[in-house]
Amino acid sequence: MNERRRVVVTGIGLLSALGGDDERMVERLFAGDSGVGRLRSLDAAKFKSQNAAELAPDVLPTALAALGLRATDRTTDMALVVAGQALVAAGLLQAGPAAPAAPGSLAETTAVVFGTGNGPSHALQESWDAYAQKGGRLLRPTTVPRCMANAVSSMASIQFGLRGGNYVVVSSCSSSTVAIGTGYRSVLHGYADRVLCGGSESMFTDALYSSWDNLGVMSKHQEPTRASRPFDVDRDGFVLGEGAGALLLESLDAAKARGATIRAEVLGFGESSDGTHITRPSKEGQAKAMLQALRSAGLPPGAIDFVNAHGTGTKANDATEAEAIAMVFGSAGAEPWVASSKPFFGHLLGAAGVVETIACIRQLELGRLHGNPNLERPDPACTVRLCGRTATTQPVRIAMKNSFGFGGGNATLILGRYEA
Amino acid sequence: MERSEIIHRLRSIMARTATTQHDWERVGETDTIASLGIDSLAMLDFVYDIQQEFAVQFEAHELVGVSTVGQLATFLDARTTA
Repeated sequence: MNERRRVVVTGIGLLSALGGDDERMVERLFAGDSGVGRLRSLDAAKFKSQNAAELAPDVLPTALAALGLRATDRTTDMALVVAGQALVAAGLLQAGPAAPAAPGSLAETTAVVFGTGNGPSHALQESWDAYAQKGGRLLRPTTVPRCMANAVSSMASIQFGLRGGNYVVVSSCSSSTVAIGTGYRSVLHGYADRVLCGGSESMFTDALYSSWDNLGVMSKHQEPTRASRPFDVDRDGFVLGEGAGALLLESLDAAKARGATIRAEVLGFGESSDGTHITRPSKEGQAKAMLQALRSAGLPPGAIDFVNAHGTGTKANDATEAEAIAMVFGSAGAEPWVASSKPFFGHLLGAAGVVETIACIRQLELGRLHGNPNLERPDPACTVRLCGRTATTQPVRIAMKNSFGFGGGNATLILGRYEA
Repeated sequence: MERSEIIHRLRSIMARTATTQHDWERVGETDTIASLGIDSLAMLDFVYDIQQEFAVQFEAHELVGVSTVGQLATFLDARTTA
C-alpha cells in the first residue's frame, strides 16, 4: 500500500446553527448572520454563560423524518442525518425515507470514521438521571449500545450498510479534523476507496453544560451574536455550539469512474501532540501540526491563501494560535488571510473541525471569505493578517484548517479547490 | 383498562422502538410483533417500555407464545387486572 492517490470530496452533509444543509449555511455565512442566540434547550438563568449556537428546534426532527429514522440520541441522530445527506449528495444513496444501503460493491469498500468529543451525551445524561432516580436494576437494557461512543459511527455503518470499517476518533476539539485526516490517509494510500468521515456533538445537557460553565472558558457576553469574538482584544471565551458534518472522501480515480461531482480536494494532513498540559495550548505543538500538513501536501507556506483558524475566542487559544501561525508563515514571508468560523457556528468541540472544513470548501468553491464579524478591536498581540468583519471576494485556491484540542492533540488539514 | 386503550399504548411504544416505519394507526391485533421491526435488541427496549407504561413486571421468557399485538394485549390485560 505504498501508492499515493489524489483524495477528493464528493459529498457533504451538514447540520448546524446556520441550518440543515450547506446551502443555507453559506447564505448566512456570507451575510454575516450568526447562529448564536440565548441558550434555549436548558434553563439559561442557571448558568454564568448563557449563549449558545443550537440547531433550530425543527431541524433535526425534520431531517430524521426525511430519512425515515427514529430518534435515539441527539449526537448519534445528527451523525446519521449528515451521513445520509453526504451519501445522497455523493450519489451513493437515493433520497427518501427508509433509505436503502449504498450499492453493494461501493458499500464493501466504504469506511466510516467520525470524531466526537463526548459521544452520545444525551443518552448518557438520561442514563445518569435514570440511575439516580431508579437505581441500576431499572436502567434501560439498551443503555450500553445507546451510550457507547462508537455508536456515532456504528449507526451510520449499520443504517447505510457501509462495511469498509467503522470507528470513532476522540481527541476533544480536534476529533473530527483527525477523523478527516485519518480518512484522507486511508484513501491516499489505498486502504479504502471511500471514507465517510465527519463528526457530531451536542453537549447541551445539564451536567455537561454545567461542567463547561464551571471551567470558565465560555463567554459571558450579554449580546449573543457578539459573544464569540476570536482575535478581538475584548474576547472572553467561546460559545458552545452543536451540530454535525460529514464528507464523503474518495479517490479521484474512483470518483471519476462513477462520474461523481467533485467538490474539493484534500491535499494534506498534519498532527502533533503538545505533550505539555491538559488545557494550556502550545505554539510549538500547533506550529508542528501546520508544518506537518504542509509537508504532507508538498506545499510551501506561501501556497496557502487562507487559514481557517481554530480561533475559539479564548485569551489563551487565539494568542497562542496567532503566534504559531506567525512562526509557520512569517519565516517564509507568507501572509495568508486568517479568520475563525466560530462566531457563526459556536464551538462544536468534536464536530468543530468538520463543520469548519465544510465552510472552507464552500469558501474555496465560491471564491469568497466570510471574515471575522466580531473583530471590532483586533488584538495587537495577534500579529497575523486577519480578515475584516464582512465577507469579501478573494481569488482563493488553497486553505488551511486548524483544530486544537484539550489534551494537546493538534490537527491541520490542507484543502484545495478541485483542479483537474 | 379498556382493550382499545391497551392497543393504543402499545402502538405508541412500538412507534418509538421499532427499527422500521409503519402506519401505526393501522396496526391491529392480528399483526405479528416480529413483522413490525421489533428485532431482538429492540425487544429489550419494547419490554422495558411496556413495563414502565403499564407498571407491570415480568420476565421476557413469559412472552413465549405471544406473537401478535392482540396476544400481547391479552397478556397485559391479565397482568394489569390481576
